[in-house]
Amino acid sequence: MGEHAATGIEKWLLDKTGKDIYFWNFIVLMFFTLFEVGAVFFDEIPGTEIEVTRLMVWVILIGVGIIKGYGIAAYFMHLRGDPSIYTRTALFPVLFVLLMLWGIGLSNPEAVTELPSWCTPDWDYATR
Amino acid sequence: MSAHNNHVENSTWMRAVMMAGVFLTIGIIAFAALGVGVANQKHEVYMDAKEEYYDAKEDPLATQSDLDTLKQKYEKTHHSFLTYRVAGLTILVMCFIYASFLGIGGLFNALQPDEEHGHGDDHGHDDHHEEHHGSSSPIIFSLGVLLFLMGFPSFVVACKALMSQGGTFAFSDFALSFVGLTVILFGIANWWKEDLPFIGYGEQIATSAPFEGEHIRKAGVWVFIMSEVMVFATFFSSYLRVRTEWCTDWAIRASEEGDSCYGVAEGTVVTASDLLRYDWEKLMPGAINTFALIISSYTIVLALKIAKDKNWEAPTNFMRIFLPDKKKAIRNYLIATLLLGSMFIVLKLVEWSHLVAEGFDVGSPQGSIFYVATGAHGLHVFVGLLIMLYLIFKADTVGYDEENGQGIEYFGLYWHFVDLAWVVIFPAFYLY
Repeated sequence: MGEHAATGIEKWLLDKTGKDIYFWNFIVLMFFTLFEVGAVFFDEIPGTEIEVTRLMVWVILIGVGIIKGYGIAAYFMHLRGDPSIYTRTALFPVLFVLLMLWGIGLSNPEAVTELPSWCTPDWDYATR
Repeated sequence: MSAHNNHVENSTWMRAVMMAGVFLTIGIIAFAALGVGVANQKHEVYMDAKEEYYDAKEDPLATQSDLDTLKQKYEKTHHSFLTYRVAGLTILVMCFIYASFLGIGGLFNALQPDEEHGHGDDHGHDDHHEEHHGSSSPIIFSLGVLLFLMGFPSFVVACKALMSQGGTFAFSDFALSFVGLTVILFGIANWWKEDLPFIGYGEQIATSAPFEGEHIRKAGVWVFIMSEVMVFATFFSSYLRVRTEWCTDWAIRASEEGDSCYGVAEGTVVTASDLLRYDWEKLMPGAINTFALIISSYTIVLALKIAKDKNWEAPTNFMRIFLPDKKKAIRNYLIATLLLGSMFIVLKLVEWSHLVAEGFDVGSPQGSIFYVATGAHGLHVFVGLLIMLYLIFKADTVGYDEENGQGIEYFGLYWHFVDLAWVVIFPAFYLY
């Protein structure tokens, strides 16, 4: 979120439209929020008979989430332009987050009742 | 008072007390108008609809279609009543807390004697070379939080008893939490007092890897955000863990023979998103909140942009009313951020009240994870709003410019993180 000289796409947008990257980032975030709400709200794609399936919703929500997350982190929090140590700091917990999401969230839906034997000692209260 | 004058009279703090009075007045007026005036009218309509529905239930001539229509009307009028009552009450409580923070903190600082500034001229240019020393305030604040949380269990029991929800209490049950709150307020007031004269000179710079050459405060905020990512990851992984096991309607419809959810009756597990996503009126508070947070992220960026712009000029169009000069423009963008954040809290509690009215409460695993995760996020928003009060006060008195604008920048990082967390929570809990 610091102030840096506009470069690359930031400079191009500023030259072409007269509006800075923050404005366009804001517009993109608003558009994609509208899109994700619409995607879930409609059972069929408007104007067609194509059903909005569960898989389609997954793809849209995750895809939009990544785009919005990038927009906020890269431009509003200004990780693009700040020294890379801040990006590395921000990404550091991702390893643990992935471990939690995979290790707790997705890989073991049966939880303690289905844990492998090596982590369930043969104590009565643990296996009862 | 110029932004380049780092000597601040303690009497300046009386302005915070005045702001507290304004918030209290706004809270009382909003509560009287929404929570009492409109809500009482809505309550009458709701009671009529309720009576009509129960009368129809007793009537042997009433058809199922009539009953369904009347039930819908009964629910709709109840939600309408709850909207105004909860909104009025929330605004009152929030304004009361805002007023307490500003009022007590401001009064505490205003009553202290002014420090002697014998060195340098009155404009403090010699002070530019002063070091920005470390502060004890965060430690005092943390001690207050510790005491508050230690007393919190008996505080909750006493509050429940006080609201006639069963049990007994003694005033001593409040003691530890109140001591904690007092220490928190003292720590915050002292923190404000130390920061208010800070004009951007003497910002501490890290002298070793990995943040060598960077502002220590900025590095601190990023490390703090890192820990916050972990907090929200625990909520999200817990949610994912239970969600993958639930036979939601969506999972049932997508299941095939052999799947664990195959053949399970729809409606067995109801999540918050099942109640919210198919009805535009119910989804609206969450959707509006999403837009509110994005807009508030943009308004705080604009506040910083103006602060950092040496050549900023007031616009020539109608926006000049809101942005007449640099100092007021920054303040007004911060006020806009505060209003949007406050609206987020109000709509969140309105939405919760609707869900509870529909029987979706903390008693179920689905309700528990929903309220804990969205509540933790709401708490982060509210803490951000309390910090924003101080930023508004500083913008209104000492002012921000290109030298001390990093105060907005570092708070902005936290505020954007709160927005980022909502980017994950909203689709996961409201849409899917």
